[in-house]
Amino acid sequence: MIDLASPAALATPVTRAPGLVMDLERLGSFNATRLSFARTLIRVMGRQRWQISCDLFDLNTHGHGEVIYRVQTPNGRYHVVIFSQPLDDALRSDRVIADAWDITFGLVEGDVEEALMQSLAENIPLQEAGRQHPRLLVISRANKSVRNFETVVTDLATGVQPSLESFTEGGYLYRTTAVYGNGKFGIADYGRLRTNPDFRHPFSAQMTAVYVLRQFSIDQVEFLARSRAPETAIALAQPLKRYVGIGNSTGLGMAPFLINHPQLIDQWVHAREQALAIAKSQPPDELARDRLLILGRRAQQFFKETTVEDADQQGRNQMVVAELEGIIDWLEQIPLDLDLWQQLTDWAEAALSLESQELINGLLIELYPQYVDFLEDAMAVEERMELTPDMPLVQLKQLIETHFDWALAEDFDTPEASHWFWYRSIEKEEPRLGVRGIDPGAEKELSLAVAPRVKRTYGKISEYLEQNPRSLTVEFLMAEPSFVDIVRRIQTMAATAYGEIRANLWHRDMRPIHLLRTKLSFLGANRFDPRGDRWVRVTFFQGAPLIEELNNEPADLTAFDDWSFPLAPTSLEQQETYESLL
Amino acid sequence: MKVSFNELQAVSRKAFMGIGFSEGHAEDAADMVTWMESYDLHGLDALNKGLEHLIADNPATLPTIVYQDGDVAVVNGQDLSVLRSCNLALELAFAKGRARGLSVIKIQRCRQRQLIMGYLARLAGRGMNVTAFWRNAQQPLTEQVVGFRANSTAPSIRVYSVEEVPEENEPNNGITIIMANHVDLLPTMRSDFRYDLLAKHEEADLLAAREHAMTNGIEVDDGVWEQLNKLAKATLVESFDASHLGAGPAD
Repeated sequence: MIDLASPAALATPVTRAPGLVMDLERLGSFNATRLSFARTLIRVMGRQRWQISCDLFDLNTHGHGEVIYRVQTPNGRYHVVIFSQPLDDALRSDRVIADAWDITFGLVEGDVEEALMQSLAENIPLQEAGRQHPRLLVISRANKSVRNFETVVTDLATGVQPSLESFTEGGYLYRTTAVYGNGKFGIADYGRLRTNPDFRHPFSAQMTAVYVLRQFSIDQVEFLARSRAPETAIALAQPLKRYVGIGNSTGLGMAPFLINHPQLIDQWVHAREQALAIAKSQPPDELARDRLLILGRRAQQFFKETTVEDADQQGRNQMVVAELEGIIDWLEQIPLDLDLWQQLTDWAEAALSLESQELINGLLIELYPQYVDFLEDAMAVEERMELTPDMPLVQLKQLIETHFDWALAEDFDTPEASHWFWYRSIEKEEPRLGVRGIDPGAEKELSLAVAPRVKRTYGKISEYLEQNPRSLTVEFLMAEPSFVDIVRRIQTMAATAYGEIRANLWHRDMRPIHLLRTKLSFLGANRFDPRGDRWVRVTFFQGAPLIEELNNEPADLTAFDDWSFPLAPTSLEQQETYESLL
Repeated sequence: MKVSFNELQAVSRKAFMGIGFSEGHAEDAADMVTWMESYDLHGLDALNKGLEHLIADNPATLPTIVYQDGDVAVVNGQDLSVLRSCNLALELAFAKGRARGLSVIKIQRCRQRQLIMGYLARLAGRGMNVTAFWRNAQQPLTEQVVGFRANSTAPSIRVYSVEEVPEENEPNNGITIIMANHVDLLPTMRSDFRYDLLAKHEEADLLAAREHAMTNGIEVDDGVWEQLNKLAKATLVESFDASHLGAGPAD
């Protein structure tokens, strides 16, 4: 809900229709916004004066060994423990089924005593195969970017700053392949974090671990350069350090989350839509217009500089660059009408690509931190789907007709509409896609496709009502008990706007990549680089303030927070402001 | 070994699906077992003791309504575990309780009755005062009463043996549940008959046990954990060439 004490509430903002927002392709065009979890984390860290220091840096000349960073917040102390080990090049793989990595690491609650360290050393490197300690909040692993790591070390060792090209393609030295939280493999349950003032925002513990890993990647390449050539080695230039992010490679494993946590998704999308509605309802002034122009030019430059391997995504990025040109021209000339932002989004919706539409929405949200940042506290929800057993069955039928009309409209009997089935593979229990009628395993299908289940439920309810017109929901379920979970979902989600992704996940033309990007955008990823339809590479924290900046307790928190769409530095001197790069 | 709450819940859910539970029933059953285990009420022991029987149950057998009116229902549990049979019967009682202020439901012929507590907790969380009563054995005759205050996460539990066994003492594998919208029905021992209190769990002790489990993990027997994982494997699909396409990127 909008804070009624907020001035923004006076403008009665109107959120967009769920049918528009929850279209899968649109969701798959989202970019990170200031409400994304990586952005929120950096704001919280700056505001609360978190301090991060290195407690142990015990690496050999090959860069292998153990490193511990301490994270001190006003409420508690945590440690990121990193194990770096030799890895045969042939074994370096982003595949989920891999079982060896360059580094493995975890975020620990509290201090790391000797006994705990021993347990961590025995188990964290094993990842899924280990039995992890309950004081671990997060475990993860990462592989070196083959392309960048050695080049950067060699350049630094010889006294040369690495070329920008090392960072404009990808923008990282390490790439994570999974970041586990919430009780996986014995680590702490999310339930424990819910009341932790440091990590109550969704995925903030995971983001913290990844943010500290970024510092490790910088510290490690500098250490290796010094080890190789102590006479000539130099440190990475500060602007290049800021331009280093952490890569991530994500596959289908992320997809079920979006379907299995509809109440959380509703919360995230609702917060984003509220922020957009609030921003659009603000009367524009010259200051806001100038700021939007600066942000627009920065985003345009970011997409110009971004090179991705996927031709389709590269084309979409180029389209954004071209369309932003038109938007910037228009914005420079248009009078400051009261409904200027509404005019802008109406025009975008009518004439521009989905990528550009959602980019503009994200930039509008960026204009009004004072009115939208309270929504960062609205991202978590206690998920609980419950039955309303006393609901008259005819009312349940009407709920489906009203809130799931998009599911009823689909014909699931055509071969293309029921092409895919989702299943869980015996290999690390990862979710995968099979072709119905061709691949084995359809009898063990995961029930991720909500739309066909809703339509089937509707059919059964209609039949039952013919004989039992005055029956209650629970009476229907006593007769048809296998529908209990979908009925519970329908009843629960009918009270929400944005929880259900409106797509047929069986359809031949469905692109799982959109599901992945939806979640990644909320996490705060950028540089989306799809590799086919089923996995994507992204970058986190590129352009984010460095730990040394955080530890210096930034006086200007607005500038500290201003790191979206990071641009390649044009000078290796001390960090420029973004405006000076344009 | 130690496992997390979420881990136990997820593996249990898959294990129930592996033995033929529908997805919704598997979720409910996993929640019930995990809820008990997290309050140190030995849900896994209760599950393990009846596991063979549970696996052998015919998934097509459904509990049936023997009698119902506005306030009362009698359900034949068909000698199934409450993990298979109780969730919707309890929802029926909940619906009646909401409509009439108070309802009584008798579930006849059911097994693993301890595990019903997990679902009662859920109903209490939805604002209903709930009390369940059942008899555990004939010699000595023991009775168990479990009461949840509306919106409370932990129950009060009393288990006691009755010394003066009534003449009419046929084996009774049923369970009686009372739900009330507005009045709490916590078990308080006030009988004039002679009885021995065998166990007493107060809300505060149970909440402390829960806190401990969430902080330190849940201790489970290795053999039971292995068995659950083995059952869960039935939900997984063997690997084949094309399946690797979804396994994440190759370099």
